Amino acid sequence: METPLKINFDKGTLILQNVPEALESQLPDLRWDERTLTFRAPAYRYRKIVSQLRAHDIPYQDTARQFTAEPFMHQKTISPYPYQSEAIDAWHANGKRGVVSLPTGAGKTFIAILLIADTQRPTLVHVPTIDLMHQWHTVLTEHFGQEIGLYGGGQHELRNITVTTYQSAVMHAPHYGNRFGFAIFDECHHLPGEQYQYAAISSIAPFRLGLTATPERVDGKESRLYALVGECCYEAQVQELSGKTLSEYRVVTIAVEMEDTERVQYEEARSAYLNFLKQAKINMGTPRGWHTFLWKASQSEAGRAAFKAYLTQKQLSFASTTKQEWVWKLIQRHRGDRMLIFTQDNDTAYQLGTRFFLPVLTHQTKLKERNAFLNGFRDGTYSILVTSKVLNEGVDVPEANVAIIVSGSGSVREHVQRLGRILRKREGKQAVLYELISKQTGEHFVNRRRRQHHAYQPLKNSYSLKSRSS
Amino acid sequence: MLTKDLLQYKTKKGQILPQFVNPVDNQLLAIAEQLIAVFEASPNTPRATLLESSKQIIDSTPGSPIVKRGLEKLLLDRTEFDTAPNEELIAFRHKLFTETSRLLSEKQFRDYTDYQQSVQEQFDETELGVKLYADLPSCQPVLTFNTLSAERLLHRYNAAQVQGLLLHCNTVTLKLADSMTAELRQLFKYLRFNQLLSTIRKEGELYEITVDGPLNLFYKTKRYGMNLANFFIAVLHQPKWELAAEIQFRNKQRYLLSLDESCGIKPISQQFLAYIPEDIQLFQAMLQNKTDDWQIRPGSQFLPLAGDFYCFPDYQLVHSSGVETAIELFHPWHQGHLIARLNTLAEQKDVSLILGVSKELEKKPLIAEALETSTYFAAFGFTFRDVPTMRSLLPILNTLV
Repeated sequence: METPLKINFDKGTLILQNVPEALESQLPDLRWDERTLTFRAPAYRYRKIVSQLRAHDIPYQDTARQFTAEPFMHQKTISPYPYQSEAIDAWHANGKRGVVSLPTGAGKTFIAILLIADTQRPTLVHVPTIDLMHQWHTVLTEHFGQEIGLYGGGQHELRNITVTTYQSAVMHAPHYGNRFGFAIFDECHHLPGEQYQYAAISSIAPFRLGLTATPERVDGKESRLYALVGECCYEAQVQELSGKTLSEYRVVTIAVEMEDTERVQYEEARSAYLNFLKQAKINMGTPRGWHTFLWKASQSEAGRAAFKAYLTQKQLSFASTTKQEWVWKLIQRHRGDRMLIFTQDNDTAYQLGTRFFLPVLTHQTKLKERNAFLNGFRDGTYSILVTSKVLNEGVDVPEANVAIIVSGSGSVREHVQRLGRILRKREGKQAVLYELISKQTGEHFVNRRRRQHHAYQPLKNSYSLKSRSS
Repeated sequence: MLTKDLLQYKTKKGQILPQFVNPVDNQLLAIAEQLIAVFEASPNTPRATLLESSKQIIDSTPGSPIVKRGLEKLLLDRTEFDTAPNEELIAFRHKLFTETSRLLSEKQFRDYTDYQQSVQEQFDETELGVKLYADLPSCQPVLTFNTLSAERLLHRYNAAQVQGLLLHCNTVTLKLADSMTAELRQLFKYLRFNQLLSTIRKEGELYEITVDGPLNLFYKTKRYGMNLANFFIAVLHQPKWELAAEIQFRNKQRYLLSLDESCGIKPISQQFLAYIPEDIQLFQAMLQNKTDDWQIRPGSQFLPLAGDFYCFPDYQLVHSSGVETAIELFHPWHQGHLIARLNTLAEQKDVSLILGVSKELEKKPLIAEALETSTYFAAFGFTFRDVPTMRSLLPILNTLV
C-alpha cells in the first residue's frame, strides 16, 4: 500500500511528506526544503492545500490541524442591527474569509462575537494594544461565560478563545499557529506591516475575519491584507451611520493665536530650522527628508542647533499658552460632560495633566492604573482623561461625548480614529470634536491635509450601505 | 543593541561597510571611561539626571556624537531602573483626580487661578504639580549598572554595529574551518537556541553554513533578523570565520555585508570553552558509574551525512578499543531537524550517530510514527525525558563494540 501524504505543522510552516510528483506543482507555494529534505509551505496555505487534496480525492494524513469544532454558546440574547446581519452574511458568502470595514462604534466586536458562535472553531483574536486585549477579554468573557485566554503583555494562557497582541502573535504563532480554526484580526490595517503579517502567515486557521474602520494604507499594502485574510466583503462609512447607530457629531476648528513672546520664539526657531534645511539642501517633502535631516543635524554644531530649533517651534505650536487657555475654556464650557483630550506627544499630555490636575493615560501608564483610569472614566469618577495616542484605537469609551485635539499628526486615519472615540451611540448624545490649531504655523497645513477625509464632508441623510458581495 | 539611527556605515558598489571605532584609540577610550564612570556612580540617581550627566560628556568631548550616543545606548542596556509601581503616589493621584473631577463638574470658577487655589487648599501641597507624576520613567532611579572596561565597551560597540545591520537581513552565510572544536559546539548551541535552521556543506577546506529560518524558503523575510543578530555573538568566538549577509533597509537597495575575523572585534559574550556544561558533567558521572570503557566529551567535529550534508553532534563517545560514536539530541522544538535527520539517515550506510529524542517530541503523532517506522532509529535511537539515561544508551553502545 502506498504511504499516504502527510501534513504536519512546523514553526509557522507546513511540512508535507510523500507528495505525489504530479501534485507538486499544483499545491500553492509548495517548495522543496533542502535543509530538512521535505516539502514545505507557509502555514496560511493550509486551507488551499487541503481543498486541493480533497478536490483530487487524494488521501492524506493531517497532523497539522490541532483543533476540532467547539460549541460556543451565547450567554446573552443578542440581535444585530440590519447592517451587522448584512456584514455577517457577506462574510459567509465570501467563504468565511474577508475584511469587514465599519466606522468606530458601529459594533465590529459584536459581529466578531456572532461569527465566533457561528463558526464554532477555537478562535484567536489579534489586537494591536494591551488595552484592547483586555477590553476584548472582558467582552468575550461576558458573552461566552467561559475562560478566555490571554497571550501577550506578560500573560501566556491559551484557551479555546484567546486574545493576543499582534506583537506576541508574531513571536509565538510558530508554536501555536495550528491550534485555532478561526483567526480574527482587529484593527486589521496593521496586519500588512513588515513583521505583523507573519501572525497571519504562520497560522493555519482556515476561517479569517479582518475588522477595521479604514483598510486603506498609505503604502498601498491593503492588497497584502486581502491576500492573507480575504477580500473586503462589507463596508459602510461614518456619515452613513451618523445619528442612527452612531451619535450625531460636529467638528469645531478653533484657530488659536500665539502670545506675542511665543510668536517671536516660534518665528526665530522656525526660521533657524528652515534656514538649515535650505543650506543643507534637504527637501522634507521627499520620503527620505526626515531621515536626511536627522542625519545631517547630528553632523555639526549648526545641525544640532537646527534640530533644537525644530523641537522648539514644534512644541510651541503643539502646546502654546493660548492653547492651554482654550483647553481651560472648553473644560469650563462642558461641565458635566465626559471629555477626552488628545495630544501628539507625551510631554504635552503630562504638561496638561499637571497644569489642570487631570489623569493622563499614555503607554507609560502601568496596567493597573490604566485600567483604573479607564474604569473611572467610564463610571464617571473621572470626567476628563488626557491622552497622547494610546486611546486612538479601539478602546471603548462610549460615555465620552467631547474630544479636544490639542495636537496631532497629519494622519487622516489618526484623526478619524480620534473622532470615533466619541461616536458611540447613547440616547440624546451630541458629540463634539474640537481641534485647536495654532494660526500661521505648520499645524494649519497639517489640519488642511487631514480634513480631506469623508468624515468631514457634510452629513448625509440617506442610510445606504455598500456590500461588495451583494 | 543599536537602533538604526545610531548605526554608522558607508555603502560602496553594492557593499555595506560598518564604520568601526578603533578600540585602542586613546581619545575614545578616555570618553568611554568618562561615560562608564557616570553610569557606575548612577545607582539611586533618577534616569533624567543620569542622562543629563552623560549628555554633558557627549556635548563637551571631541568626536562623533553618534558614536558617543551609541556608547551611551549600550551602557543604558546594562542599566536596570526601578520600574515598580509607586502605590502611594497612585493612591494619591486617585484621590486628587476624584476631587478635581467633582470640582470641575460642580463648581464654576472665576478663572484658572481660582481653580488651582481650590485644589491646592484641599491637598495642602505646595508642589502639587511636581509630585503628581513623579514616577514617570524620567524620574525612575537606577537600581544597578553592570560595568565593563572601556576597551570592552568599544568592542561591544563594534559588535553592535554588525548586529544592528544583521537585524535587516534574512540569511547569513558563514565559512568556518574544520579545525575548531569547542567553539563550534558553542556556535551550534546558539544556532539551536535561536531556533534557526542551517545547511552545512563542504566548500574546499571550509565548511559553508547557511543560517536562516523556516519561512525564508518563501519570503525574503527579516523575521529572523533578531535571531541572526543574537547568533553573531557565537561567530565572534570562532578563531577563523567569514560572514556574508545581504542587508536591506525597508524596501531599499540591497547591500552585501562581508566580514571576517580580521575586523578585530573581540568576543563580547562569555566563552565556555574550558567550562564543561552541567549536562555533560551529569552525563559523564552517569557513564562512569556504569562503565569504564566509554569516555564522553562535548561534540567537536562535523559528521558527514548522505549527499553533501553534515551534522554537528552534541556529544562524542570514545571506547577504550578506539571505537568512536556520536550522539545528537532532539528537544521538543527540533521537530523539523529530526524529520530531516531521519530522512537523511534512512539512506546512510556508514555513519555512527546515535539519536536521542525527547519524550515530549515523541508525543507528536507525526514524530511517533516516523520513529516507529525508522529502521535506523530502531537500531541507533533512544528516547529521554530530561537528560539521556545510561539504561537506554548503554545497550546501543554495546552493539558498536
